Amino acid sequence: MSEQGETGEAITILLVEDDAPTCWRLQDALVKGGYEVRSAGTLSEARSALGDGAPRVLLTDLRLPDGHGIELIRETRQRFPDTEIMVISALGDEESVISAITVGATGYLLKDAFPTDIATTVRDLVAGHSPISASIARFIVRRTQGTAQSTAEPPPGPALNTARLTPREIDILWGIAKGFSYAEIASHLGLSKQTVPGHIKNIYRKLEVHTRSEAVFEAVQQGLIKL
Amino acid sequence: MSEIAAKAPVKPARRRLLASRLVPYLLLQALIVIATILGLRLLQPSDPDDHAVTAFSLREDGVTRPVTLPHFTASRYSLADPPLYTGTFTFRSGDAASGWSVYLPRFSNAAEVAVNGVVVLDSRRDANANRPDRNTPQIALIPASLLRDGSNEITVRLFVWGPLKGFLDTVYVGPDAALRPAYETRTLLFVTLQVVFSAWQSILAVILAIMWLMRRREPVYGVLAVAMVLGVIQAFMPPPVPPFTVSRLPAVLLASAPIESALIVAFGVLFFGWRWPRYGALLFAPGLIIFVVGLIAGPPLPRILFLVLGVPTVGLSLFLMACVTAAAVIRRQDAASFTIGCAVTIVLTCWIHDMLSVFEIVTNERIFVSRLSYSAMLVAIGAGLTWRFARALNQVDSFAGQLVTRVREAEERLKASFAREEERARAAALANERTRLMRDLHDGLGGQLVSIVALSERGHEGATITDAARAALKDLRLVIDSMDDIGGDLMLALGSWRERATAQLRPHDIALDWRVATPQGLPLHPELRPSHVIQIVRILDEAVTNAVKHAKARHIAVTIETLEGGQGNDQGPYGVISVTDDGCGFALAGNGEAAGASQTTRGLRNMRSRAARCGAVLELSSEGSGTRVRLQLPQVFPDSDAAAG
Repeated sequence: MSEQGETGEAITILLVEDDAPTCWRLQDALVKGGYEVRSAGTLSEARSALGDGAPRVLLTDLRLPDGHGIELIRETRQRFPDTEIMVISALGDEESVISAITVGATGYLLKDAFPTDIATTVRDLVAGHSPISASIARFIVRRTQGTAQSTAEPPPGPALNTARLTPREIDILWGIAKGFSYAEIASHLGLSKQTVPGHIKNIYRKLEVHTRSEAVFEAVQQGLIKL
Repeated sequence: MSEIAAKAPVKPARRRLLASRLVPYLLLQALIVIATILGLRLLQPSDPDDHAVTAFSLREDGVTRPVTLPHFTASRYSLADPPLYTGTFTFRSGDAASGWSVYLPRFSNAAEVAVNGVVVLDSRRDANANRPDRNTPQIALIPASLLRDGSNEITVRLFVWGPLKGFLDTVYVGPDAALRPAYETRTLLFVTLQVVFSAWQSILAVILAIMWLMRRREPVYGVLAVAMVLGVIQAFMPPPVPPFTVSRLPAVLLASAPIESALIVAFGVLFFGWRWPRYGALLFAPGLIIFVVGLIAGPPLPRILFLVLGVPTVGLSLFLMACVTAAAVIRRQDAASFTIGCAVTIVLTCWIHDMLSVFEIVTNERIFVSRLSYSAMLVAIGAGLTWRFARALNQVDSFAGQLVTRVREAEERLKASFAREEERARAAALANERTRLMRDLHDGLGGQLVSIVALSERGHEGATITDAARAALKDLRLVIDSMDDIGGDLMLALGSWRERATAQLRPHDIALDWRVATPQGLPLHPELRPSHVIQIVRILDEAVTNAVKHAKARHIAVTIETLEGGQGNDQGPYGVISVTDDGCGFALAGNGEAAGASQTTRGLRNMRSRAARCGAVLELSSEGSGTRVRLQLPQVFPDSDAAAG
């Protein structure tokens, strides 16, 4: 069995992970899931692998021996806008996941996830379903509260611009943070169940900081530039 | 006894103090008296003696005799047949260029001057000129046609209304240019100055009255205002000249001087902080008697009464005032009492001077200065009071400033102490949190890692090690998760837990049914601490683990609801979390420690103690068709997890 994209070809994955056992584990799970996997142990290896062509999915650890995964994500995002990017996180901690999201990642993968879950997560992502955990949703909605109050000091952690999130998206995030399933959230908010993943994808897109356009947006928001 | 003994040595000391303060004060007053007398002498206006006419013949009561001016005539109460002074002066036509005048520097009470039988001056037409308490001069131009070269006759008719004796000062006849400067000087001194003082007094009266109206607690301002108003009325109300058309008015005006003086004493007593004695009202009696008599009886009785009662009352009041100020000086030794004391001494000296003049003990052209000096004193006092008022305002200002400074200081101290307190609290919280974190890591992660090590050393199968390692990871997640700020919303922690539990159950093919019975889930608990969250999540973990490992359940349901506490004093909502499974259950303790699962019993004991630590109640029911763990959360979580053991 092999996973295939819309074109019918096998889905290619570039896996960037420096810890060999973890790398084997993930690779095994993905190959079993039917994906075509290339792996890289360092940032430079990953860059040269990217030079060969765009993968459908980039899976990268953040701490790499010769650099930071964030740089890789940013570069990939700029060069291959169609590539889905997932960050590999040991514990799904908000710091690393959120900072990866702001540079263009649309999902994350836990290192200790069960092999079937690993494949499922990637498949969902390719299908347009970004995964989001309760703690990440919680982190984001806390930030929306923080900006609303605009109080003295910003909460710790990576900078996050939540100004563009709509009230509905924030409601969805609240539901996720409280452990409700997509179906429950959809029925609470009067949505169709199928639209919830799309909303989450939108949330990821909105949290991404596009270096130039985002700066302009910020400036307009703050009244520094008059259009 | 002891009190008397203690008081005894005080007396000489007091006497010494009295002497040390009174003697210099009295010496100072003596100096002031001398200065006043010298001043009065120096201020005596000089008259153009070259043009004096002093030799007159006086026809009085049908008798004619030669007299020399200044001259006193007997007091009389009838205006008919007034004393007639007749004299002569020499006019040389060469001097006629500037016109000649007749100048009367002082007379009482009224005078009518005729030259060569034609009246040129009648002071009765000017009401103020006839007041005995003022020293109004009069001057009149003599029409040139009246004057004959050589000797001319001048006659002065002196109208006198008792009880004072009539008085006529030297008469001056000469060129107007020579006489007028002397006249102007006297007018300035005795008329204009008086008006200026009175005007001043009226302004101060208004100011003091306003002060009193705004500060009723201080009658001293009111008393002084009344005294000043009386003085102003007395000064500006022109007394009609006899024969009166309205006889009441001058009689009433006579009462003003004794009442004013009594008011001044009242002012002094109040100003220096004494109580106004009840018998002090007696001081007002003479003034009121004169007032009443003036209303009832016609002249000259009120005037006689004024001389007998009023003038001594003024003197007595001045004397009392001097005593009051002297006492104040001894007691307070401040500028205000010294100033007022000196002013009173001056007025008293002037009064004595006037008395001596009235009784002809000292002949000084009968210039009365009491009124003038009194007005000056009032103005001085009024100015002093206003100054004191302004100073009080300044004090209030500076007091307010001090208050602001104090408040700011206190605020800063408070801020500093608050910051210290906050720092301390933060340090304590940090220490608590560190302790908890270390314990949690030790209890969970530590034990699991040790067990992993043990399993690997004994060469166990991978699966067991995997489970232990997974448990360790799960615990690490839990500890890290608990550090997150969830703002008292336990639902947020349960949301994360649901994800983990679902992931954990998926390989076992067990469905986790998640039912939130109430829309908001669980009530908010602002007092919720990470330690509480850890305990609750571990209880739930334990329940799920039991269901999977020991009960072989296929479905696990987690129900979350909020119930209203109605019974007893436990008002308010509380949350309940239930975990039910469809497993085979387990035998509870009491049914023997059987069931072959000492691990389970240990787990159950653990769950109970965890529940107790966060004030929750754990209920377990287990039978063949399943197990139900009901965790009833407290309405308020206990402050520290150690509290409940």
